[in-house]
Amino acid sequence: METSILNRLNKTAEKYADKVMFKDEHGQITFGEFNALTKVIGTALAKLVPCGAPVAVMSGRHIMTPACFLGAVRAGCFYAPMDGDMPQARLNQICGVIQADIMLVDKAHLETARSLDFDGQIIVMEDVLDTQPDEELLSERESTLVCTSPLYVIFTSGSTGVPKGVITSHQSLMCYIDSVAKVLRIDDTDTLGNQSPLDYIAAIRDIYLPISFGASTYIIPKNEFAVPTTLFETLNREKITALCWSVAGVEIPAKLGAFDVGKPEYLKKLCFSGSVMPCKYLKIWQEHLPDVLYVNQYGPTEATASCTYYVVEEKVDDDTVLPIGKPYDNYRVFLLNEDNTPTKQGEQGEICVTGPILALGYYGNHEQTDKVFMQNPLNDKYRELIYKTGDLGSFDENGVLHFHGRKDRQIKHLGHRIELGEIEETAKKIAGVTDCCALYYKEKATLYLFYTGDAGAKDITIYFRQNMPAFMVPRKLVALEKLPALPNGKTDMQTLKGYFK
Amino acid sequence: MDELMQILEELRPDVDFENETALITDGVLDSFDIVALVGELNDAFDIEIKPNNLVPDNFNSAKAMWNLIEELQDE
Repeated sequence: METSILNRLNKTAEKYADKVMFKDEHGQITFGEFNALTKVIGTALAKLVPCGAPVAVMSGRHIMTPACFLGAVRAGCFYAPMDGDMPQARLNQICGVIQADIMLVDKAHLETARSLDFDGQIIVMEDVLDTQPDEELLSERESTLVCTSPLYVIFTSGSTGVPKGVITSHQSLMCYIDSVAKVLRIDDTDTLGNQSPLDYIAAIRDIYLPISFGASTYIIPKNEFAVPTTLFETLNREKITALCWSVAGVEIPAKLGAFDVGKPEYLKKLCFSGSVMPCKYLKIWQEHLPDVLYVNQYGPTEATASCTYYVVEEKVDDDTVLPIGKPYDNYRVFLLNEDNTPTKQGEQGEICVTGPILALGYYGNHEQTDKVFMQNPLNDKYRELIYKTGDLGSFDENGVLHFHGRKDRQIKHLGHRIELGEIEETAKKIAGVTDCCALYYKEKATLYLFYTGDAGAKDITIYFRQNMPAFMVPRKLVALEKLPALPNGKTDMQTLKGYFK
Repeated sequence: MDELMQILEELRPDVDFENETALITDGVLDSFDIVALVGELNDAFDIEIKPNNLVPDNFNSAKAMWNLIEELQDE
């Protein structure tokens, strides 16, 4: 049995030494070169931090970034990726949670790193590339890793206003990667087209499918999604065969009419996740690419990116609602009622998941961890943790799971998970906002903020742009004399939804 | 042009559309902004922005967008 992801990297680096592993618009790197680079970076880090320590990594959208991640792992550590394009205030919050002694950055992000409330040591990746790899030190560090050691901490929205760091182990990651590769039939002939930011959960497939199976990944330049005609040209030039994209990423080319001028000729498989797929856009993909394997995937970061998958075999219509399907290998998925009793077949309950894919919890946050990672209420014989997703689902007579939305106020917007409570907590910090309510207009994929007070729309937007990631900035701001209230004093959200336009 | 500025201002009140000339190239506007913007411009000016029009040159500045709108209105 494998003890860490490094077992896999060691093997693929040898087997595919001269094959391209990662490529971006500026260059490429082979498996052999990549592996050597992780040893260089790993040695530099191992001289500075003990094993088991967190390494914050802030590096851009290029081929060196995955090497920074795995360099931290080579040092016997785990990494916490940070998106340098996020506002300073958000990055400071993340630094506050992770409390790393060391931050590895690329040169382009040095200035950003220096501007943060971070009192540890900043290491510039480009400056350590002349380090002599110390094989003895590295193999000593590698031997400290067990399959339950943390691999990374990835941050997601938290309802209290502070982001939560989900800790994932080597074992969980490998279980998921193996399961998804089996469904998508990924092997060393595949080239993936990376859409997700590299610090985000959805990028783990683009990073770890190459490490595990010898596939290659092309990192697509970010602004090609704004101009989708060149996007398809790129997919064809790079002979991309597999895409694991957010639903939003799949929608954009279809929405902007990219199929009128071309199509991805080499594409064989398309896996999408992150939110509910509007089938009018999937239909366009199917019409132009009928032989592609389409897979709808569902699941949270807390269960290593996913839980269930559904292979779309039927031709969809505009109003088709796709099921979320069956559990991946090594995932056990079941439903619980409000009172923690089992949900009957056909009825709605909360989707719960267990297995070796459960996250290790939220970094430095026992309270939140214990709230959602709990003893299986159906098992009083031995310790069995489950994760309650907060999503509602039902199983049909064929054991296929269907999705019915959220129990709470978490939404999925543009592929990102957002707590509406976090938007409100942020808005309340703005001078001139007295009270507010954030709501999501799903049909138009628009975040609304209804507020009282004398703040102008511009003040609010600028504050959000400075403090929150772009996907968390409300697009429509509506000033009201007073928020409508229910008899119990709570905000009347149904009335507010009547103001959507 | 005023109507365009109003749409842009509402879309991204934090951006200086009067002076920015590399909105796409510098990544000031992202793909989600463009999707929202294309829909609004099509409706507001009764035009149809085609995929071929979606190149950075046409969206890098408010002026460039206005030229595109005028061009499409003439068709």
